Amino acid sequence: MSKIKSQILEGDVLVVGGGIGGLMAAIAAADSGAKVILADKGDTRRSGSGATGNDHFTCYIPEYHQCRVEEYLIEHNMSLVGGNADPKIQTVFAERSFEVVKDWHKWGIDMQPHGEWEFNGHAYPGRKRIFLKYNGYNQKKILTDEALKRGVHIENKTPIIEFLTDSTNQIIGAVGLAISEAEPSLVIFRTKTIISATGNTSRLYPSITPTQMFNTAHCPANAGAGRAAAYRVGARLINLEIPNTHAGPKYFARCGKATWIGVLNDPEGKPVGPFVTKPTRELGDITADVWHSVFTDKMQNGTGPVYMDCSETSKEDLEYMMWGLECEGDTALLDAMEHEGIDLTKHKVEFTRYEPILIGRGIEIDENAATNVLGLYAAGDEVGNFRADISGAAVIGRIAGENAAQYARTINLTTENLINHPTVVEKSAFCDTLLSRENGEPWQDLNAAVQQIMNDYAGVTFVRSDSLLSTALIYLKQLEKKAKTSVGVKTSHELMRALESFDLLQIGRLICITARERKETRGLHKRSDYTFTNPLLNGKFLAIAEVSGETQLTWRDQIK
Amino acid sequence: MPPIIDGKKCIRCGICAEVCGLDVYGPVKKGTVPVSIYKEDCWHCNACVIDCPAKAIHLQLPLQMSLLYRDAAVTGGQDNE
Repeated sequence: MSKIKSQILEGDVLVVGGGIGGLMAAIAAADSGAKVILADKGDTRRSGSGATGNDHFTCYIPEYHQCRVEEYLIEHNMSLVGGNADPKIQTVFAERSFEVVKDWHKWGIDMQPHGEWEFNGHAYPGRKRIFLKYNGYNQKKILTDEALKRGVHIENKTPIIEFLTDSTNQIIGAVGLAISEAEPSLVIFRTKTIISATGNTSRLYPSITPTQMFNTAHCPANAGAGRAAAYRVGARLINLEIPNTHAGPKYFARCGKATWIGVLNDPEGKPVGPFVTKPTRELGDITADVWHSVFTDKMQNGTGPVYMDCSETSKEDLEYMMWGLECEGDTALLDAMEHEGIDLTKHKVEFTRYEPILIGRGIEIDENAATNVLGLYAAGDEVGNFRADISGAAVIGRIAGENAAQYARTINLTTENLINHPTVVEKSAFCDTLLSRENGEPWQDLNAAVQQIMNDYAGVTFVRSDSLLSTALIYLKQLEKKAKTSVGVKTSHELMRALESFDLLQIGRLICITARERKETRGLHKRSDYTFTNPLLNGKFLAIAEVSGETQLTWRDQIK
Repeated sequence: MPPIIDGKKCIRCGICAEVCGLDVYGPVKKGTVPVSIYKEDCWHCNACVIDCPAKAIHLQLPLQMSLLYRDAAVTGGQDNE
């Protein structure tokens, strides 16, 4: 049975998730004088999608780019991190990105591995380049050290499973699940603010290898906990309905497209995209960044598959690429290629599209990283109106930390007995139910069942339509009812995964509702009943929230 | 199945289990060789491999996750064999 730890952890700011966004938030909040607790599902030294490194950081350096921020943002919006964002937040991000780069460099993350600002890769020919090349292999350890130096209390192996609010809809606490022992226990946090930074949402759709659920490009521990908990306390989620897919080597998804310098071509060696024929370190091949369906398009018309071909890449650029892969933390991929005997001077590696993930689709924030719930902030990949990736997570994390700390100064810690809070009582009872079920269904079956429905009725494999999406809502409801009365767990680990699976189900439902409401085709949101892209919906965002127990949808314009 | 620990090299420090973001090793008692009890949850991120001070860990990719590749030269017909 789950017990509740008697010690309640108290702070001004609780950061949920210790990835790049969470660590930067914790550092900034501590610098602003707040007492900070950071809870991480894993261990901040190696958790999240930036776990083992990164090598490209979108950044605006005025003296380098020699242009105004507006011109820089044109390139930003044409790149893989563009679209679905409020220009106001993008501007704040761009204006503060260089200050973060300089701090990282000072702290020991090498932002100038060749002694100067070097912008390479993910770029169009003849255009300004926006991705700063850096060596981030140690980024998580450095940021963890910086947080610890400032007195941040890090609680590893403690996923947060609920946020707590009072009757005025003000954040007052959170519930965590300690997984460091096999026997689960709940941890109560008393806090004035929460910064939710639980990353992208993986495991919502089937991976490219159906029997390997955790074979994902972004971290598969990121299962939407922050989005789901935020939604349950009334936060608005935004931009959920337009799918985003990543691409990379087939069938090993861990590293994604990464920092390859090659040309994407067909079996005959003909380039599939219009951008490059001879690969260089400056450009790479941006085709897959911006033509998201290239791999499936070429399979469906029979002219595929599509390969990443580095055989024409110069020796120097190939060495640069292999170095970049190490900086990016893609050593598992390098090991796998070596093990297979893949020689990139003569072999080409097949690439494919991966399953949809939520990245830049999630919690709505303003330019201070605040949500519509008092005391709740968000940062990183789980923000819905700004596409973060590493640099966005770093900058918005800092902004969230500063503003949460400032807000915390204006209010007092709750004196409520949180153990009796209705959310704690209900969650604790639900955990007990799952733990007490002797021969229950394993969490994996629930997770896979959610994936099946999402793929078949609300994904990118088939079209979407009112008929399919409304059917998905019926099936998800049936599944939820069944799962609540049948899933059983034995350990804290299984309990964590089961709760994640229920969160995924909830988020899947929200995707179906919002996808139904967007009556047009836009990007990978392909409606067979509305096949056109409606110009009147250009720049229109759709948000979903629970207001007094009812699901509420709101359309709004981009905020400039 | 991933990850594989060489028990002879392992110094039983438990760092692999500490840093694993996927809790593949579950709770580990200090002084024992960790076992990947939740191996299906492995992301293959290599964190434990990189951080092992004894270099005692390697990942073994499941067969269905093998990389697919062929000769880059257009002329090759040997791929059929």
